[in-house]
Amino acid sequence: MNAITRRALLARFGLGGIALRALLDEERPLPDGLHHAPRARRVVWMFQSGGPSQLDLFDPKPELVRRNGEDLPASVRMGQRLTAMSGNQARLPLAGSIFRFAQHGDCGAWVSELLPNLTRIVDRLCFVKSLHTEAINHDPAITFFQTGSQIAGRPSIGSWLDWGLGSDNHDLPAYVVLVTKGKGGQPIYARLWGPGFLPSKHEGVQFRAGQDAVLWLKNPDGIDPPRRRRMLDRLRTLHEFARDAEGDPAIDARIAQYELAFRMQSSVPEVTDLRDEPASTFALYGDDARTPGTYAANCLLARRLLERGVRFVQLFHRDWDHHGNLPGGIRSECAQTDRGSAALVVDLARRGLLEDTLVVWGGEFGRTNYSQGKLTPQDYGRDHHPRCFTYWLAGGGMRAGHTHGATDELGYNVASDPVHVHDLHATVLHLLGIDHERLTYRFQGRRYRLTDVHGRVVRELLA
Amino acid sequence: MSQRCPLLVPTMLLLLAAARAQQQPLDAPDFDREVRPILADRCFPCHGPDAGKRKAGLRLDVEDGSRATLESGERAIVPGDPANSELVRRIRSVDPEYRMPRPESKLALSDAERDVLERWIASGAAYRTHWAWRPLPDLVPVPAVDDARWPRNAIDSFVLARLRTHELVPAPEAPRARLLRRASFALTGLPPEPDDVIAFERDDAPDAFERAVDRLLGSVAYAEHMTADWLDAARFADTWGYQSDVHREVWPWRDQVIRAFDRNLPYDEFLRQQLAGDLLPSPTRESALATAFLRLHRMTNEGGSVEEEYRVESVCDRVETIGTAILGVTLGCAKCHDHKYDPFTQRDYYGLSALLDDADEAGLYSHFTDATPTPALWLPTADQERELARATRRIGELEHALRIATARRADAFAAWLGALTDPPALTGASGVFGFESIAADGTLDDASGHARRGRTAEGPTLGPGAVGQALQLDGENNASFPGAADFTRDDPFTIACFVRVTEHHDRAVIWHRSRAWTDAGSRGYELLLEDGRLSAALIHFWPGNALRVVAREPLPIGRFVHVAARYEGSSRAAGLSLFVDGVPVATDVVRDALTREIEGGGADALTLGQRFRDKGLRGAAIDELAVVPRALAGLEIAELAAPGALREAFAHQNEAPQRGALREVFLASHDQELTRLRGELRDARRARSAIVGAIREIVTMRDDVPVPRIAYRLERGNYERRAEPVEPAAPAAILPWPKGAPRNRLGLAQWLLDPRHPLTARVAVNRIWQMHFGRGLVPTSEDFGTQGQRPVHPELLDWLARRFVDSGWDLKALHRLIVTSSTWRQDSRCAPTLRELDPDNELLARGASFRLAAEAIRDGALFASGLLVREVGGPSVKPYQPPGLWEEKSGTSYQEDPGKGLWRRSLYTYQKRTSPPPAMTTLDAGSREVCSVRRQRTSNPLQALLLMNDPQHVETARSLAQRTLHETVDRRARIERMVRRVIARAPSPGEVDVMLEAVAEERARFAAEPAAALALCSVGKAPRDESLDVTELAAWTALASTLFSLDEAVTLR
Repeated sequence: MNAITRRALLARFGLGGIALRALLDEERPLPDGLHHAPRARRVVWMFQSGGPSQLDLFDPKPELVRRNGEDLPASVRMGQRLTAMSGNQARLPLAGSIFRFAQHGDCGAWVSELLPNLTRIVDRLCFVKSLHTEAINHDPAITFFQTGSQIAGRPSIGSWLDWGLGSDNHDLPAYVVLVTKGKGGQPIYARLWGPGFLPSKHEGVQFRAGQDAVLWLKNPDGIDPPRRRRMLDRLRTLHEFARDAEGDPAIDARIAQYELAFRMQSSVPEVTDLRDEPASTFALYGDDARTPGTYAANCLLARRLLERGVRFVQLFHRDWDHHGNLPGGIRSECAQTDRGSAALVVDLARRGLLEDTLVVWGGEFGRTNYSQGKLTPQDYGRDHHPRCFTYWLAGGGMRAGHTHGATDELGYNVASDPVHVHDLHATVLHLLGIDHERLTYRFQGRRYRLTDVHGRVVRELLA
Repeated sequence: MSQRCPLLVPTMLLLLAAARAQQQPLDAPDFDREVRPILADRCFPCHGPDAGKRKAGLRLDVEDGSRATLESGERAIVPGDPANSELVRRIRSVDPEYRMPRPESKLALSDAERDVLERWIASGAAYRTHWAWRPLPDLVPVPAVDDARWPRNAIDSFVLARLRTHELVPAPEAPRARLLRRASFALTGLPPEPDDVIAFERDDAPDAFERAVDRLLGSVAYAEHMTADWLDAARFADTWGYQSDVHREVWPWRDQVIRAFDRNLPYDEFLRQQLAGDLLPSPTRESALATAFLRLHRMTNEGGSVEEEYRVESVCDRVETIGTAILGVTLGCAKCHDHKYDPFTQRDYYGLSALLDDADEAGLYSHFTDATPTPALWLPTADQERELARATRRIGELEHALRIATARRADAFAAWLGALTDPPALTGASGVFGFESIAADGTLDDASGHARRGRTAEGPTLGPGAVGQALQLDGENNASFPGAADFTRDDPFTIACFVRVTEHHDRAVIWHRSRAWTDAGSRGYELLLEDGRLSAALIHFWPGNALRVVAREPLPIGRFVHVAARYEGSSRAAGLSLFVDGVPVATDVVRDALTREIEGGGADALTLGQRFRDKGLRGAAIDELAVVPRALAGLEIAELAAPGALREAFAHQNEAPQRGALREVFLASHDQELTRLRGELRDARRARSAIVGAIREIVTMRDDVPVPRIAYRLERGNYERRAEPVEPAAPAAILPWPKGAPRNRLGLAQWLLDPRHPLTARVAVNRIWQMHFGRGLVPTSEDFGTQGQRPVHPELLDWLARRFVDSGWDLKALHRLIVTSSTWRQDSRCAPTLRELDPDNELLARGASFRLAAEAIRDGALFASGLLVREVGGPSVKPYQPPGLWEEKSGTSYQEDPGKGLWRRSLYTYQKRTSPPPAMTTLDAGSREVCSVRRQRTSNPLQALLLMNDPQHVETARSLAQRTLHETVDRRARIERMVRRVIARAPSPGEVDVMLEAVAEERARFAAEPAAALALCSVGKAPRDESLDVTELAAWTALASTLFSLDEAVTLR
């Protein structure tokens, strides 16, 4: 009991690292270490918020182009619900993509002209064209991807991993969130990286572009690092008096908390300061990466965090919600993101990190094969579409140069090898050495897990 | 602070350890403590209350089920005979096909757990109702204890009796200063004043502490502190939640709660008002306001959301909030299936939902307007109330005058008619459109003489019409008429046109003036086809604030039909009529509750055939649109439908029907006297509307849905999958419905507040206990079910609950009872050995110690610094927050308050659900999305950064330094004063030495860096005291900041 108590306290008050074996019995997720040998040790998830159009990026449909303007056949829709945005349209005209597609790499993966950088690395990627989800509106759909449930309140996937695996770096959080700065489009929210019912220290920590990458990281004006050090030394002395008088180990935890905060005051600026990167880095990521808060800069920052042992880095890039003027909108988002996404994969590979880093790219749902609003030769919009969309993954244990699943000839339903969000979650956990059915947390009398009571490891995706 | 407190005799520790080791007797295991947890966790998932998931017909949660002969012919449990009990054979088997729990469930039993089950069966397998489902006893005996000195009240007898069984003794009373600090934070969320502590330390009257407690309970700070706790349970926030997360104004409800706690409203009455304050025999505005509690759930306005889906979510949130906040059970599990562990069926869940589904509400709030979603309660000021009464009276007088005048116009009519040589003309239209041509720029000619032009969108064409050409509509295109029909709810109007539809429309828009359908709460006026019938409405927010009438007969299909809607400007359904082919048609009133404006949302033009995200009038044609800014007579409408009707009537003016119709024409359109009176009435109505428009509204409950909704069990909780209907009811396994109680929210309150209800009082008392000890007697205060933690002191919980009920649910008395007990007054310091043996202080052999809540940490610092602004209530405030947090998520911007809003108590801090205040969440406050009754208490480095660097805390440090420097000049005295303000005690000599050295060194260094000193002293918006030397102030500011960072400053001990 003695030992457990001490370890429990260490775990409860540390920032991770030793978390795995040191949690109380009830709380301990992986009592015997990992469930199996991991293929990946860390994850970067580039979340494309709003729902990019798979039909204009990855999933070419000649038949859809041929039948451009015809009504969506009832036999294809099969009475499935639409959103209340296009559900009341008098007509649902099929809308073929106006973008050119070609096959690339040795694997012959299809990618449209919108993603020229990505076309050069397709042999490293594993495309899943048959992803599907249950939610049809942004909030529940993005919540579903982040937590495995449409209902707010469950832990986010990064929090699950932080809780289960902790961090390999004691001076940085295990779960870091990077949001592209200055974007419009559908809002995102803090609970997307929230801990739900897990201990709140497993919340994702947002690193923000600007002076204070972490909230209140910077000392106030007038307190320089030496003064802060002196103040903390005195605080420590006072805390030691208190500990001796109280005999409460929580005071030791408080001391450790301040020391870690002090270390973060140097470790976080160190990792977020991109100026020490060589010119070759910016040649790879592009000059955008020099501007803090851009998607490219966040991709580069993600690499620096992963290098230092951060377990889960999640990028959020908003504004893929192209109900109208899709061609203009998607060109703009692709221009902002294509180079950074591809550069990160290449960079990780060059550094030997890709083999045990899992890279995930995708949004909360796909987009309809019919036009929302008016269809013209140059313009169309697409509504939310949960029934099929494309993700790509790379690195740690993924089957490179592979395409999994297919949609029907009009790109409305999955035609083969469906992959549900729960399946994707199960697969990600599997690659990290976790059995998704055994990473459970007891809350309100019930064992919860990321995949609820569903999920299947999609072994066809694994190398 | 330096003395140690060896509270335990070492031999007692050994005895305690020995007692623990002996807790594995060979006889019957305790069912509640040992057996049920295993059955519930490992067996109930397939053999429990959930009938849908039950395997092999075996039910182990009830005694009868466990004894039954199974489909296989075996019996799971043969009492006293483990060898013949299939359960034992199964759990002992090594055959994966046979073994239970099944290996794929990953719920394996340990050897010790198998032993418990086998011994239980061997001893007779006796069942016992789960402790929390047993009715609250009428009488709970207090154990006799041999120590007459220590116990101050019955709490202590229960605690001491338990300590005796473990050979433990209670800790001595906490030092005086500590006791007062603890009581002050526990009861008010604020620290004591240093002088109060000093006075209390010197007050050796026997009732000194009790007097201090009464003073604290009498302060409004107590009410604010209690409210802060209830805000978590009530998921109170200043925004709706979900993605756009727009502002909503619900703080008046928060202030109602403060007033209720301040005047110590009995808890039963408090709950009754929160749930059914509108249904009381004599409801007041205050009691109705309380019901906003049930409307504080999240709502969305996300485009494309399905309205019914989210309306069901709202009702479910009410069920689950009552489950967690009042019943302390996890009802949410029963939304999709019968509860797997506790006796709640899915029908129970939807039975409760039926009780909470009586409001005329929508599932979405309006994106395009700021309407308060209905039902809404008006909160007028006294002035507004007076003005409103006056304006209403004036309208009544004018309506009366108009009726009288109308009856007296026979002579005037005769004179008018007699003087006419030609039939009366139909004049005064504000728009007449014949759709004979569309100009190249897509505009349409207005024949009314106003030179307003209509516009078209998405290219409607022209085709054969009722007269010449007509506008051809495809459901996506439209024509609109700016300026022709800008009517308020106080303006009479008539809108008429020919329509030809070619199919039966379940729903289609003929014309409207509104920005959107659900996206605008339908704000505006409209004529639709609903199930093929004409449906006219004027709407502030659909459904609860609107008028709607629907024709009884379907509209004919396949020919041009003349349709007209006439509205008299009265805000009453009786003043809204429909005409088909010039003849009034029978209608049903669907809604008759329009009380606010129908303009707004960004829509400014009458539009035909189409609306944003609504169903357009596909395959239809419209012709001869006429808009008239008055309520036309029937004959005038007939003239629009078939020109010549007026001439025909004029020709037969001496026949009674025609003469009557002409009289109506005269009164409607030609009588100067009535026109003048109607103008006055319109002005009076507009004046009243102007007053109404400024009256604050808040979401509340009201049982005003016109046709009671039928609740259904929903398969898998899915709004689209209705199973059988369910009657309004509460879970009968807990307590039967009270005889004669109404089947509504008031009846639900009566059920909850039954003096023998197993849960309500226990749950309430437990949460108060949790406030004072940092941990409930039931640690899982949100779950009293079989999967929750059992209380270590069940009898004490029952005694407290019974006492609470019998006291008239007196909250202040309950607080007083707890904090004046010897148990609560114990010192929290103890020997490490006791801490290791009882880390969670379950046995209560010492006082409580736990980190303060986020609010108390911030408020305590503000209080100590002198910055705290003690205003009670009002709109939420926006204190310091790192810039950019709102902007990067949604594009809305956070505007820090310029003045005292920076320094109010934290319960007034603006709560945006999708970006909650980080100064709160970093210290474990939640985002208020759903009900929460227990916060975590974690420790992480972000908290350290907050306390060190948040401008709020840097500013409080400087302010504390300023006030201290003014109070005294001696450095030691200054240190003592400062320490007393932050941690309510005098510093030890060793501490003083450290602090003296700190001030000396930092002052010396700041002297060399004047810019740094000035910078530090300039943080925050509170003005720097320029009379003080900046170097001195900076040094003391640095010390104050260190003190606020102390563990002791953020911990209750």
